[in-house]
Amino acid sequence: MTTRFKIHQKNLKKFIYPDSVAIIGANNVKGTVPHDILLNILNTGFNGKIFPVSPGEKFIAEVKAYKYVVDIADPIDLAIIVFPSSVCHLALEQCGQKGIKAVIIISAGFKEVGEAGIEREKKLKEIAEKYDMSIIGPNCLGIINTDPGLNLNASFARKMPEEGNIGFLSQSGALCTAVLDYARAKHIGFSKFISFGNKVDINEIDLLYYLGDDEKTKVILIYLEEIRDGRALMKTASDIISKRGKPILILKAGRTTAGASAAASHTGSLAGSDEICDAAFEQAGIIRCDNIEEMFNNAIAFSYQPLPENKRIAIITNAGGPGVLTTDAAIDEGLELAGFSEDTTKILKKNLPATANIKNPIDVIGDARDDRYNIAMSNTFKDDNVDGVFVILTPQSMTDIDLIAHEVVKVSGKYNNKPVYTSFMGEADVSVGIDILQRNKIPHYSLPENMCKSFACVYNFKKRSNHKALETKVFTGIDKIMAHTVLNEAIKTGRSYLPEEESVRIIESYGLPVLENGVANSKEQAVYIADKIGYPVVMKVISDDIVHKFDVKGVVLNIKSAKEVQEAYTSIRENVERLQPGARIKGIFVTKMIPAGEEVILGIKRDPSFGPVIMFGLGGIFVEIFKDVCFRVAPVGKQVASSMIQQLKTYQILSGKRGNPPRDIEAILDCIMRLSQMAVECPQIQELDINPLIVLDENKGCFVADAKIML
Amino acid sequence: MDKKEVQKRVKNVVAKVLKINEAEIADDANFIFDLGAGSLQSVQLIAAFEEEFDIEMDEDKALEVQTISDSVDFIASYLE
Repeated sequence: MTTRFKIHQKNLKKFIYPDSVAIIGANNVKGTVPHDILLNILNTGFNGKIFPVSPGEKFIAEVKAYKYVVDIADPIDLAIIVFPSSVCHLALEQCGQKGIKAVIIISAGFKEVGEAGIEREKKLKEIAEKYDMSIIGPNCLGIINTDPGLNLNASFARKMPEEGNIGFLSQSGALCTAVLDYARAKHIGFSKFISFGNKVDINEIDLLYYLGDDEKTKVILIYLEEIRDGRALMKTASDIISKRGKPILILKAGRTTAGASAAASHTGSLAGSDEICDAAFEQAGIIRCDNIEEMFNNAIAFSYQPLPENKRIAIITNAGGPGVLTTDAAIDEGLELAGFSEDTTKILKKNLPATANIKNPIDVIGDARDDRYNIAMSNTFKDDNVDGVFVILTPQSMTDIDLIAHEVVKVSGKYNNKPVYTSFMGEADVSVGIDILQRNKIPHYSLPENMCKSFACVYNFKKRSNHKALETKVFTGIDKIMAHTVLNEAIKTGRSYLPEEESVRIIESYGLPVLENGVANSKEQAVYIADKIGYPVVMKVISDDIVHKFDVKGVVLNIKSAKEVQEAYTSIRENVERLQPGARIKGIFVTKMIPAGEEVILGIKRDPSFGPVIMFGLGGIFVEIFKDVCFRVAPVGKQVASSMIQQLKTYQILSGKRGNPPRDIEAILDCIMRLSQMAVECPQIQELDINPLIVLDENKGCFVADAKIML
Repeated sequence: MDKKEVQKRVKNVVAKVLKINEAEIADDANFIFDLGAGSLQSVQLIAAFEEEFDIEMDEDKALEVQTISDSVDFIASYLE
């Protein structure tokens, strides 16, 4: 833990639970941020002292104002600076002199406006460090704490949200106001609502850590635009999820950034920052959401209801079509329809009309009133074969929408050890029922498909939380010194790429299976090497100028005799000279021809946020076309490596389906873990491709057929 | 016009525009942080300086001037 992190954790209490607040730069101009923030604090019944600071005013909103913060005799826990950016440093300096440790800078005009703003931020950071202060912002909306013992709305949001157990952190201030409006309409409450803006000092990791320990927060939501320290985020999130059991949902903007298109390796071109982000979140147990609606769909499920023990659901509906739609969606999400016990079936048969469907999904028929919903819900809740109940309603002329909604609230309150989710389908007529459900914290979804998706999300979180911590293996017998020597020498001589023969040496030093090989600079040498290692052989061009050897016909496979070796030697040189004139040929690589097997790709990429990342997927020359690859942040243990293999769409090709023999998956796992260790221990490697790794049948191993390393 | 005279007239203008006591204006006072000038008043100050000294200032550069002492130097550069 860094010193600043410790200071922030100490100071965060003063941000979130201040006894006194100074608003520095407040004014009397209604409808401006400096004025509205003060009004918000005053009007929401903040249970502490409030001190406006304004050089031009004696009173603001009938509260005595001070020229400078240092003029206030009382101690101040939290300062909120709303001055223009050009003078924020002056206000911050005085905060330091006053001994204030927590400062929110609302003002914009910093990093987001360019060089001058970056300089201003630097100045703020220096002052904060001088006085052991912590800053939230600049360029943020502020902080809201709904704790009834405090009631702090230190923001310029229009209204205070309801109290709840969802903690929300946002890098965007403007998004916050939209989220608050969205949430208010659905009666979604928050424990803490924090906009952290440009994160000049306090960042999402500091705040996440705080919310992890916050007793009032059960679910944590984060909107992020930029991840500076991906590994720290993963570690903090993983700790909170495993130790506190709190789900973390992140909406990460920037899905469409195409940062990898010009990369030189297959791994580089396939591993965009977003794919890596996905993989890292998955590894840490973070739930990534694509939009605000999905985020809150999942958040209310976590927030309002118990986690399901398993994935067997009962569907109760007054309409056949939606019942079928829900069934389809549930199955698509990997859920199961519960098979009811004999007792449940008997009671349903006895108490529901003869025309009702008493099997799952239960159709209580279009004219159903609250009594039928009561029977269906009560008995499915009681059934040990049921882990969760979905209640669907469509508004017929005789449907008592409000009474049924109240019945859902009542029955689910009685059986509160199992979750209930609802979908009252429609818009205008059902709104009365939806309002009742939302006010009573019953998760409601306008579409049953979203209901199923959220249940699956919660179930998967629960399932994952039962797993033990994942361990990684450290291999011994690695020739790290040799690998570092080759890599450092290459860097020293200004090279950015290692050709196959050098790449293979490094890969071999980490114990990955490579084939006997040699480098020839004449036909005679090529024949000598081929004779020594045995036929058939493969011959490939070696050139720092050629990245994809097949593109210049620089590879000849399955060479079976000395004569063919001589022919191949000539044809490779001629092809390269014709197809890429000027390419400098350093020799011809001669290696053993591997028996036929499955071609997979292994790779390394170094990501600016998450560090070394491992790629695994379907290999060969069409890897970029099929894109059947997946990523994990290194180090990778056996369980994670195994999940990589199973994640492939083409996994069944490896596992042996449709008459094909199973391939040597254990050998692949070993390669992935060794490569992961190399990625961690050799920071010189920016990108690495092993393509293909030829995987033979079970227990027969695998072999590196081609490799290259980018420095 | 010497700088002392410029400073005296600058303070006088600032006191009028911001409606504050001239005696309370320090030589290095910051218009926003010490004297409470808002964005509208900053523009009014530029207009008032131009009128007082019969000069035409570069508005963008003038808005970057933050203190009494800097504005004295800035205005003086137009009077030279």
